[in-house]
This record gives sequence, C-alpha cells and structure tokens, in this order.
Amino acid sequence: MNVLVEAITDMREEDAVRTAKEMLDKGTSPLEVLDNCREAMTIIGQRFEAGDCFVPELILAGEVLRQISEVVKPKLTQTVTQKKLGRVVIGTVEGDIHDIGKDIVTFMLDVNGFDVHDLGVDVPAAKFVEEVKAFQPQVVGLSGFLTLAYDPMKNTVQALKDAGLRDKVKIMIGGGQIDDQIRQYTGADAYGKDAMAAVALAKQWVGG
Amino acid sequence: MTTKPYADPDAGKTPQQLYAERTKRMADALQLKQPDRIPIQLGFGYMLAEMGGITRQEQHENGAKEQELLEKAALQFQPDSVMGLFNNPGASVALGDRMTKFPGHGLNPNGSFQFVEGEYMKPEDYDAFIDDPADWSIRKYWPRVFPELEGLALLPPLGIGAFGAYALPQLGILKAPPVVKALQALGRAADAQAVADARAVNSVQRMAALGFAPPTFMGSIAEAPFDFMSDTLRGMRGIMLDIHRRPDKLLAAMDKVLRLQLEYAIAFHRATGLTTCFIPLHRGSDGFMSLAQFEKFYWPTLKAMQVTLVENGIMPFVFYEGVWDQRLKYLVELPKAKTTGLFQFSDIFKVKQVVGGTMCIAGGMRNSLLQAGTADDVCELTIKLCREVGKGGGFIMTTGIGEMEGCKPELVKVWVDTTKEYGVY
Repeated sequence: MNVLVEAITDMREEDAVRTAKEMLDKGTSPLEVLDNCREAMTIIGQRFEAGDCFVPELILAGEVLRQISEVVKPKLTQTVTQKKLGRVVIGTVEGDIHDIGKDIVTFMLDVNGFDVHDLGVDVPAAKFVEEVKAFQPQVVGLSGFLTLAYDPMKNTVQALKDAGLRDKVKIMIGGGQIDDQIRQYTGADAYGKDAMAAVALAKQWVGG
Repeated sequence: MTTKPYADPDAGKTPQQLYAERTKRMADALQLKQPDRIPIQLGFGYMLAEMGGITRQEQHENGAKEQELLEKAALQFQPDSVMGLFNNPGASVALGDRMTKFPGHGLNPNGSFQFVEGEYMKPEDYDAFIDDPADWSIRKYWPRVFPELEGLALLPPLGIGAFGAYALPQLGILKAPPVVKALQALGRAADAQAVADARAVNSVQRMAALGFAPPTFMGSIAEAPFDFMSDTLRGMRGIMLDIHRRPDKLLAAMDKVLRLQLEYAIAFHRATGLTTCFIPLHRGSDGFMSLAQFEKFYWPTLKAMQVTLVENGIMPFVFYEGVWDQRLKYLVELPKAKTTGLFQFSDIFKVKQVVGGTMCIAGGMRNSLLQAGTADDVCELTIKLCREVGKGGGFIMTTGIGEMEGCKPELVKVWVDTTKEYGVY
C-alpha cells in the first residue's frame, strides 16, 4: 500500500498531511495525491461497512482530507473530473435539525462514487422540489431523527408528486425512528436502516 | 385478529385503591419482581396538544391547560402512570439559550423541542476545564451559550473568593452594567424555573389524587460522562476527534464530570427524597464507536456512575437510546434489580434474554406502529411483548421513546387494553 494511503487509513493524521506535502514538494502531481486520498477514503468506507471502523474514524479521515485538499488545491492546474455513478439530492426534512446520520450517508455515497448534493438540515419540501428540478438526481434521500419527521417526509414526497417529479426519482428515507411502517406512511420507495443500506439502494436504483 | 369486547378490570375502583395498586405494580416491576399484571406508563408528550387542539407552544407555556389535557388523557386510557412534557422553555428563553429550540422560540408554534449541538467548548479549553470546571463554566462557557449572561465574562476568577476579606474589593464588578444585566437575567431564569418546578410537583400530586402512580422519570438527571462532554460541550464532531487527538484529556475531563454529577445527584436525592436518577444515553449506542472505544471511553464511567448511585440508594433509570444489541453483555455487570433500562430500538426480545435477570426493562411498543400501523398490528405486538418480555415480571410497557407525538388515540387504546388483558400474571 502507498505510504499516503496507509497513513490516512491508519488514522495517523500528522503523518498523512506531512506525507502529502512531501510528495508535492518532490514533484508528485497533485492529481496523484488526490487519487491516493480517494483510494484511502474508499478503504475507510469499506471498513466502515464491515464494522471495522466507526464514526470517529470517518470524521478524522474527513478532517485529514480537508487539510490535504488545502495543500493540493493551489497546485492544481486542471479541474478534476471523475465519472460518477449517479446523482443524489439529500437533506434532513423541515423541522428537524439533526445532521449526523445524513452526513454519514453523504460520506458513504460520496466515497462510493455518487455525486451528492447535500441541502443541509430543516429543508422545506419546496426546496427539495427546486433542487430536484435543477440538479436532476436519480435518487432523493430524506433524513430525519425525530418522530416529527414523519409528516414533513410525507409532505416532501407529496410535493415532488405535485410538481410532476415523482416518476423521475427514487426516494429513500432514513433516520432514528424510521421503519417500513413509516416508509408506507410517507410514500417513499424504500427506507434504509444505515448508511450502507442507503448506498446499496442508490446503486440498485442507478443500475450500478 | 380482532379485539374482544373489553371489560376494564379497574372499573369501579376508587382513586385511592387505584393509586395503591398502581404504585405497587410499578414498584414491583422496577424491583424485578412479578406484579399482578404488567404496568403501563404513557409519556404523552406532544400527543396532548394534538388531542386538545392547542399548539405545542401553548402546551409548554400554559401549565393549567397542559394539566387539564393530561388528566383527560389519563382518565381516558387508564394506564398506571402518565407524563406530559418533560421540559420547559422558561429558563432557556430568559437566558437566550443557544443550545435549545422550543416551539415559538426559534421554531414555529407547532415545532418540536430540539437540542442544538455545537462545539461550545473548544479543544484549547480542555486544560482550563480540567483545572477548574466551575470557574470555566461560569466565566467562559455560560457567556458563550447563554447570550444574556455575556457579562459574567467580566468576573474575576471565582477562586479569588478564597482570599476572604481581601477579595471583597472585587465585588465592585457586580455593579458593572453587563454584570448587572446578567444577574437580572439569572433572576428571571430562576423565577421561570421555580414556576416550572411548582407545576411539575402540582401535576404529580394531582395525578396521584386521581389514582395514577408517579412516573419513573422523577428525580435528578445525569449523563454518561462521555455524553456530558459531547452533548453540551464538544459536540459530536469535536468529541469524535478527541478520541483520536486528545484521548488523555478527554478521559481526565470525564473523570471530573463523573464526580461532580454524582455529588449533585446524591445531594438532590438527600434534599428531595426522590430516588430516581434519569440517565439518557446518546453516543454509546451501536454504530457510533467501536467496542474497543466503548470499553475505553464510554462504559467504565457509565458503570461507575450507576454503581455509585445504587450504593447511595438511588435507582438509575437509563434510557438506552438507539440500538444496544452489541452492547447488552456489558449491562449484565450492573447491580441486580437496582437499575432500570428504557430501550428505544434495541431488539427488545433479545434484551429480555440477556439483561432480563439484571434489570427492569421498559419500552417495547414502537411509536411508528401507534402512528401508522393498524389495530391488528398493535394487538399482535402487544400480546407478543406481554408473553415474552413480560415473562416473570420486571417489565414496564411503554413506547420506545418517552414521547407519543403523532400516535393515534384509537391505537393507543387498543395497546393499553390489550396489555391489561394479556399482561395479567
């Protein structure tokens, strides 16, 4: 395994950032450094999926990636384009401000090759409609931690239907209080009990 | 499955009789004994506003109205114990609290109370926190999280009070306008809290007079030391980074908050006579950290907290929020029949198998079923819970979270009646 990939996946934060700087100083192309980072994040995603690493590691890895990106960005002369599996619009529904679960799902979709448009928390149904029109995702993810999220989820599904967009997207819901009862209640296509389930659903839906 | 015509076994009893029976039923279950039948506790929460056609803001702020709705709902469903809302916006509103949002205060009048997590304590605050948590809290932390208390940042180090008469010249600062403003805000918050306390005490007395046992939540509140550091101080992101970046400081801080929370809970118990300490758990649930991290950062201080509370005659009523399926084996280490666990999303049947001999189990009914299920679904799950989780006693039937917003009254009735019918020992 490459030294940078190893430092990131071993959670050696300082080593990882220093190694990236040294690689750039020695003339390694910024794109190669970013490729190494992507490889490391894929491995961390796989470990998370397998139950070998957890939230502290996802957050630390994200932090390492941010620091390396800051070093790499000024040296980038061309834009990075990566073929994406599909597009996902995700957000925590109106009235609910919890972001942890949504952020983990976003991370896992991202490392699995999806172009994820994260609308944040407390997102009104009309905002979902607007963003689905603009971004044209294949998948919409509605997150909510509280039982109060049931009705906003239902309203968001209905709003997409009213806007004539329901047939163009698959909708998945998830969060602390969500189960199949609530999937039926909201009219969503599926619910996921964790981030891995969200990735599996999205892949299944885009045929990836 | 259809429900038979239902004959309430409590019909015709006086409130005094009901109170005695229900209190004993709850106490037996809590002590891991087998009562005459499975006790039922309904934590109505915002369901009361829905049933009464008022806003949630009114439910929080109009104590008389909430009490009226609580009494009506309790008499309608006839469970053993009931609760309305567990918190009150008064003090938070008086201080401009940044870490809570209440209906009508940062949320629309029908919004639902929410906690706003943030990195209110920065990594560089650890040393000051560990050195002197009291001074850091009042002079650094309160001004950050309670805007009305910004003036407290002007106070001298609180420890200077130990200088006795020589510290008295420092008192002049108490007349500085920002400090005056902060002290006045504290006064308003204290007034609001006194009203809330009186309302809570009055409610329990009124419900007792109507024949209902006191709810299991009554008493002090504490958190697992890891959650204490996470929820109101470092935030989820901060604490997860601390596990890797500054584990020793995190552990040292947790040791401080373990001791100060125990001191508070024991003093509260001695002052009030209430014997419960409510401990809602957050980041210990499956999925947040590895078992190795759990063993190092979460469990030892949570266990020590519960053991010490028990030694002091206090029963921890612990809300095992989220899923604890991978962690149930640790709970068996707790003192037998001295703690209670409310389980949210754990496999309740597995919970019974693993910890049923250790603690009273509360929970079982899924909120989603009472909101979006059918009467048959509710009936079927209730019977299964009575037979399997209720077996041998030590079980309190309640929803997985102590809040029933959105639950349909007709399904709640099916649930309660079925429990009374099938929960007889």
